[in-house]
Amino acid sequence: MTDEKKKSNGPSERIGVYLCYCGGNISDHVDVEDVRSRMEKLPGVAVARTNMFMCSDPGQEMIMEDLKNGAVDRVVVASCAPSLHEKTFRSAISRAGKNPFIYEHANIREQVSWVHHGNAATDKAARLVSAAAAKAAHLVPLEPIRVDALRHATVVGGGIAGLRAAKDLADRGIVVTLIEKTPFLGGQLARLDRIAPTGDKASDLVCELAGQVLAHPNATVLTCAQVDDFDGYIGNFTLSVKIQPPADPKIPEGSAKGTDRPDLPGRFIPFAGVLPENPPEKEAAVKLNTGVIVLATGFSSYRPRQGLYGFGTSDAVITLPELIRKMAGRPAAGSLLTIDGRKIRSVAMIHCVGSRQIPGIHPEDESGHLNEYCSRTCCGATIHAANQIRETFPETRVYDLYRDIRTYGRGQEELYDQAAKNGVVFLRFRPEAEPEVSFADPADSFALKVNVVDTLTFGEELEVPADLVVLSTAMEPSDVSDLVEMMKLPVGADRFLLEVHPKLRPVELPKGGILLAGTCQAPFDVGESCNAAGAAAVKASAILAKGYVELDPFVAEVDAARCTGCGDCVEACLQEGALSLIPVQVEGQEGKRAQVTPALCLGCGACVAVCPENAIDVNGMTLKQYEAMVESIVSDQTAA
Amino acid sequence: MTRLNPEFAEEMKHFGEDTALACFNCGTCAAICPLLYEHFPRKMIRYIQIGAKDRILQNAQELWKCLHCGLCTQTCPREANPGEILLGLKRMVVDHWRKS
Repeated sequence: MTDEKKKSNGPSERIGVYLCYCGGNISDHVDVEDVRSRMEKLPGVAVARTNMFMCSDPGQEMIMEDLKNGAVDRVVVASCAPSLHEKTFRSAISRAGKNPFIYEHANIREQVSWVHHGNAATDKAARLVSAAAAKAAHLVPLEPIRVDALRHATVVGGGIAGLRAAKDLADRGIVVTLIEKTPFLGGQLARLDRIAPTGDKASDLVCELAGQVLAHPNATVLTCAQVDDFDGYIGNFTLSVKIQPPADPKIPEGSAKGTDRPDLPGRFIPFAGVLPENPPEKEAAVKLNTGVIVLATGFSSYRPRQGLYGFGTSDAVITLPELIRKMAGRPAAGSLLTIDGRKIRSVAMIHCVGSRQIPGIHPEDESGHLNEYCSRTCCGATIHAANQIRETFPETRVYDLYRDIRTYGRGQEELYDQAAKNGVVFLRFRPEAEPEVSFADPADSFALKVNVVDTLTFGEELEVPADLVVLSTAMEPSDVSDLVEMMKLPVGADRFLLEVHPKLRPVELPKGGILLAGTCQAPFDVGESCNAAGAAAVKASAILAKGYVELDPFVAEVDAARCTGCGDCVEACLQEGALSLIPVQVEGQEGKRAQVTPALCLGCGACVAVCPENAIDVNGMTLKQYEAMVESIVSDQTAA
Repeated sequence: MTRLNPEFAEEMKHFGEDTALACFNCGTCAAICPLLYEHFPRKMIRYIQIGAKDRILQNAQELWKCLHCGLCTQTCPREANPGEILLGLKRMVVDHWRKS
């Protein structure tokens, strides 16, 4: 800022400081009245008041009254953490008819009274509040950044979550494009048969929702399509989508038979999904301008490494999804289950394969990962399959080898109950003593034997004779590293996409306008996936409903008079596109100046740190404001 | 090493016992049993589940210590009826003794 500007825009002389007792939470350790009398003496402070609960109606009205009658034009509240009540006080200022950005918060509870005692606590509180007041003196009214939002949503992934989100958005009158990598809709659900615990047919669920989406006038479905470029910000994203013929253009067997729902478009192909149209034969590119993106990229089923529980060494060791597929549609041809032409007298089902892995006990995969999480759906699915076998093929015995049974949720404990009634025998192993699967002796009539140290039989080693071993494999997030890189998505330690807050903002990502639906976030069952997708659709339509989006104004701003166009800030900028150099005419000469795209700016301040001319500042957090804070903290003016 | 034998649970049906597989091994019966034998009667029920007939015969005398007070049956959360299971086991043991 130039000196003239400083004069015309000098610090406020009417700062109001409001100190909270927090009902003793603060005042038991901080002498609030003493802090008040010290604040009163500070330059620029017009009033300093206290209240038992500043966040109460009388507390807020006190502030509003002072603002309305012109006693103060900047507000500092010293109370709890800003995460709790900063919004409360900003809203009180708005209700008094003033700009909410003339506000500064001082935390004297978590940072003072809860961690310090006695005079030291009072002194620290005084320093923090005086620093806040010093900053407040330099605050200027700001306006939220308003960006137009396109009334269009893009859903990435055509599994059950993506279909649910697309349908819900389309129903709310939002134009939706659904992008699916494969030629089929239905995702992993289409590869199952009957779903635990209700026994619904997966194909019915998929056909119903896919049919509704395909028939919806607001929805467009692109199959064999992948996002290959991404740009823009909330309300105004640009996606480029590549459409590629599938590597294997052959449609799986069963394609001749259409869906049993002729009223719905597309045809269902068992264990593949709904085929909306024949796969494209040529590459194509589509550009999409979209307001929000819903990620529904789903999961993939854990592939056991060679030799794990005999997997890959014997055809008699298969995964649960493989068992489901092999059993599907099989009539009860006798009293014994038949798999691949072999009569199965005994099945051993092993839980937690690839889930709940423990460092030091389970080996990491080739990329160094361990799946430490519970996949949640496998206990129900395993016991559901066990019940199906026992109820359809009564001569086939089922042994269930588990670490813990977690049949959570409605109707699932009943499955476990039913398994006991069906004569399923449970054996429990410790993670450090996993069952060993080996070929049975040639003299034995069974193909395999499973040796297990069974804690239910007091730690004795038992031998389970088995014709079939079924591994209940984990859910792993789909590989979306390209999207993670492109959109800068946060990924958790478990490799699933990470929401802003697991309880309060469970379907949002820190990057505005990108939402999460389904198992790209965590292992969910079908109902939970649809819940999450519905929530994401609501969030997305809330963003798009107004036609514009308001963003916090805490973004960088360039002082064009000082900028020399050196470009250091553009290089330091962490968010591609937030800062750019634009050509300008300076005194008849060609020159360049930095320009901020406010909707993209993260407000991180990296540009402020590198600018040699002090020509760039972050609104609401300017260098001048911070210098004033630092000066206040190191000065002795707040001493008692 | 004991090899699992599912036929034994079937065999027990002849002796009027058909609830052993309902047991989920919580141990409430063993905790409430006034006899204070380790894991009695759960151990016997578990042996039926895995089909360890020989173990039951080896430890058959334990069965006759049971007072049939009914506490285990009263407290069983799975209604597996441990008291009745023990009676069934006694019938099986007597039958086995007669045959041998």
